Formats: sequence, structure tokens, C-alpha cells
Amino acid sequence: MLEVRHLDKRFGPIHVTRDVSLRLEPGERRVILGPNGAGKTTLFNLLAGELAPDAGAILLGGRDITAAPVAERARQGLARSYQKNTLFDALSVAENLGLAAAVATGAARSILRDCLAMPEVRETVREVAARLHLSPHLDATVSAVSYGVRRQLEVGLALATRPRVILLDEPTSGIGPEMAHGFHHMLASLPRELTLLIVEHDMDLAFDVADRITVLNYGEVVFDGAPEEARNSAMLKDIYLGSWENA
Amino acid sequence: MFRLSPLRLGTLALLLAAATGAAFASGFAGLEMLTEILILAILVIALDMVAGFGGMVSLCHGALMGAGAYAFAMAGLSLGLPVWAAMLFAVLFTGAVGWIVGAICAGSQGIYFIMVTLAFGQMGYSFVFESPIFGGDDGLAGLARPDLSALGIDLNTSRAFALYCLAALVLVVLAAAQILRSGLGRALVGIRDNERRMRALGLTVWRTKAHLFGLSGMIAGVAGVLAAQHVMYISPGLLAWTVSGEALVVVILGGLGTFVGPIVGAVAFVVLRHEVSAITPYWHLVVGLILIAVVMSRANGIFGFVEDRLSRMSARRAARAAAPRGEPHDA
Repeated sequence: MLEVRHLDKRFGPIHVTRDVSLRLEPGERRVILGPNGAGKTTLFNLLAGELAPDAGAILLGGRDITAAPVAERARQGLARSYQKNTLFDALSVAENLGLAAAVATGAARSILRDCLAMPEVRETVREVAARLHLSPHLDATVSAVSYGVRRQLEVGLALATRPRVILLDEPTSGIGPEMAHGFHHMLASLPRELTLLIVEHDMDLAFDVADRITVLNYGEVVFDGAPEEARNSAMLKDIYLGSWENA
Repeated sequence: MFRLSPLRLGTLALLLAAATGAAFASGFAGLEMLTEILILAILVIALDMVAGFGGMVSLCHGALMGAGAYAFAMAGLSLGLPVWAAMLFAVLFTGAVGWIVGAICAGSQGIYFIMVTLAFGQMGYSFVFESPIFGGDDGLAGLARPDLSALGIDLNTSRAFALYCLAALVLVVLAAAQILRSGLGRALVGIRDNERRMRALGLTVWRTKAHLFGLSGMIAGVAGVLAAQHVMYISPGLLAWTVSGEALVVVILGGLGTFVGPIVGAVAFVVLRHEVSAITPYWHLVVGLILIAVVMSRANGIFGFVEDRLSRMSARRAARAAAPRGEPHDA
């Protein structure tokens, strides 16, 4: 579904992405781990089109999207969430989801009809809100809801575009363990045909959700395998200073 | 997100009633002032659409209005089109110019957007000023008003022309509300609030900006046509950057992004100009001081201030109603 071939990126003298290759099958849940500065977010920005690679190729459903702009990749079914909330703070939760659904359905191009009132948009808003437990907050302005709700909405915006692949950049960052557990449950319950690529620091989430784990260190892939293999890898224990003994 | 709240609808109804009353009750000077307000209101609605709802602060809307006026004049005088066809041509032409300007400027933001639009405006001004076919500095005279004699209306009277401009303003308000309420308008507000996210959701941002700039240009074109018909003469001064600057002052004075505010601003600006200039030639100083006071008060213009006050009052009333009896509460 999503394939990355020998991706490379430098910022001046700093080599942030080194010959990264990945292959995600349809419906696969892949978690990318790595210490701070390993190049995880840079990889996401390359995949989403917010950065251009120096070398390598990105294929979505077999189609080369390496040169495609951000919006085109989104229209091809590649959605993303951000590590730092990137929402429409002045709008309500329902309007946020509605805007995302309207862009995806093309309703946001209509000059005659209010896209937020269109049945297909309203249906998507209702469905995504129910899945992410956002229904009680639909009428609230984003700036007035809790941080946890905003994190859920961050994922909700990506889901509302009805993507084939979602890139989730640290979806549980900054939220408490109880809410993070709910998040794991929600991610695990997403439709199986949806392919997920998740950057995460939370080991619990990695082992709960991932079909496969990829570890980046200094911009290169140092491990790619099943969660159990990752759990038993001595090299990865060294990288993380034994932090997943507790996982 | 664009909403026509009861306050906004009520204010629009009040303004419409006041303008209709003034059109029937005023003498020649009053009717000329009313017409000036109505044409300026159309221009500032066009500007508020892109600046207030799209975050695209334009300094070329005066030039777009001028383009509409010149297109109308040239279509009638040089191409020999009938008045209504020339008006339609002018509005479509200005829309096309607006679309091109919007498409080119879409990649820039903030001060750079302002500067690029200013450059476009100045290019238009210089082109018209230097070109003999546009009459150069002398401008063009002999422009016609539509013939409504079949309806028993003589548009050559000040009263009929003011009512004709009022009808145009009503149509523009309805059209602008429809555009801002549409999918395209919602997308524009999304771009203003978070352009990066709109792009990540799959929106082609430059195209949306260009469409809205084109539609705004069409409305500025309507103002240009009416301005040309009002004095039946046009000169390059219509395209000057000061016209764009004045329109921006009016939008800020009335309330940026409030839809109704710019119309209130147009009324305040024209009335102030007429009243203060009768007392002193330094009327710009007075308007400048008022604008500084509005900006320094951190209120969003006259209408934004009223909206904010009323919403605080209703929030206080709601808090008072929700508080249990006998318990003190914060004001």
C-alpha cells in the first residue's frame, strides 16, 4: 500500500534520513520507534510531501507520489495527524470534522451549497465523532475543549478524509496513561483495511497496536521486524537504554 | 466561520430601512452622499470577503474597481456594446483580472501579499494613466446609465440612481453571503485559520484563493461600473492605491471579517468626510485619529465592538441565570 525506496534527506551537513526503505501492506499497522532526533518526524514530513527528498521514491498503492504536492497526496488517500495540534481553533469540533470531510468529498469546492450541511459530510462527522468519542463535544469550540479531546480531534481530521493510509505522529503525546490506553483501543478498532503508520514513544502502544515495528536511529533503519523480535532485541535495548523493560 | 447572527441580520435590515428612507427623504446633496456610501459599501464588501474571511489583505481593490469602470467604459465607447452588455462584460472582466491576481499572489502571505497586490494596483494605474486609448490623465467622459424608461424609471435623476445603487448593494450582500456560506467560503475561512492543515486535508489552496479573489473582483467590478455611471466620467484616479487604502481603512473602521461592519464603516467614513470637511480641510486628520482610537481599543471596528459588548452582556446574563439563588457570583 505504501512503499518507500532508499529515501534520503540532508539539512546542510546533517544527514537526517539515510537510505530508508519501508513497505507497508494494505491494512498493516506499523509503528516507527526511535530516540529523539532519530528522524521520525522528518520521515513523516517526507512521506506527506511537506519536505522534498534528496533521493529515493515514495509509492502509494503502486503509484509514484514522490513529486506530488501535499494536497495531491491527501487526495490519493494519504492522511496525516501532527505531533503538535494543528486544528482550526476558532471553529467547533463539528466544523473541524466537517471541513475535513468537505475537502475530501469535494464539497468544499461548491459555490452553491453549504458543505457543512451536506448529508454525506454530516454523516462522516457523526461517524468519526462516534468512533473517537467526540460526540459530546461536537458543538464546543476547539479552544474550549481539553487537550485530550484536541488530540483525538487531531486524529479525527485525518480519519474524516476517508484515507487509505494514515500517518499518525505521536498521537498520544502529552496525554495521561488512562486516555492513552483508550487511544490504543480506538486505534486497534479502526477498520482493518486502513493502513496505519505511527510514530510513537509510548512502548505500550507500539506493542499493543503494531503488526510490525521499524526502529530509526540517526536517520537510518536499524531494525524492522515483529513486536516480539523487537522486545527481545539487545541492540534496541541499548538504543533505548533498557526503557522497554517496563513495557 | 461565517454566520448571519440575529444582530447582523437586524443591523442589515436597519441599514436597508435607513437607506430606503434616506433615498426618498433626501435632497440632491443627501442623495449624492447616499450613492457614494452605497458604492463604497459594495467595494468594501468585496475587500472584506478576501481580507476579513480569507486573511488576504489586498491593496489592489481600488485598481479592480477602476478596471471594472474602464472595462465598462471601453465596452460601451469602443466596442459599442449596449449598456447592460457592457456592464456584464465589465463585471466578468474584473472577475478574470481578480482571479489572475489572486492566483499569482496566492503563494505569498502577510506583508508580502500586501506588497504584491499593491504592485499589481500600481501597474494597473500606470498602464491606464499612460495609455492614450484610455484617455490618459484626462479620463473618459460620456458614459451612459442603463435605460429603464420602459419601467417608468428615469435613472438620470439622483433619487432613481441612488435606489438603483441600493438594489445593487442588496444583490451584492445576498451574493456575498451565499459565497461565504458555500463550500468555497468555508474552505476560505479554513485557509485563513490554518492553511497548512487545509493543504494536508487535500485542498488546492492557491485555486481556492484565486476563485475567491475572482469573485471578490467581480463585486469590485460592480462598484466600478456604478462609480462610472454615477459621475458618467472616469479618470485614472479611480485606480490609485489611495482608493484601495481608503477601502481598507473603511473595513477596519467597520469591523474586519464581520460582514456587516464594513457597510457600517462605509456609512461612518462618508458621513465623517462630508461633515468634517465642511468644518476643516484637515478631515483626514480626524478620520486618522478615529482609526487609531479604534485600532488601539483592540475592538474589531465599530461593529466588532458592538458585537463583543452584546455577547459579553448575554454571557453575563446567562451566568447570572445559571447561578443558584442567594449565591454571589463574579461579574
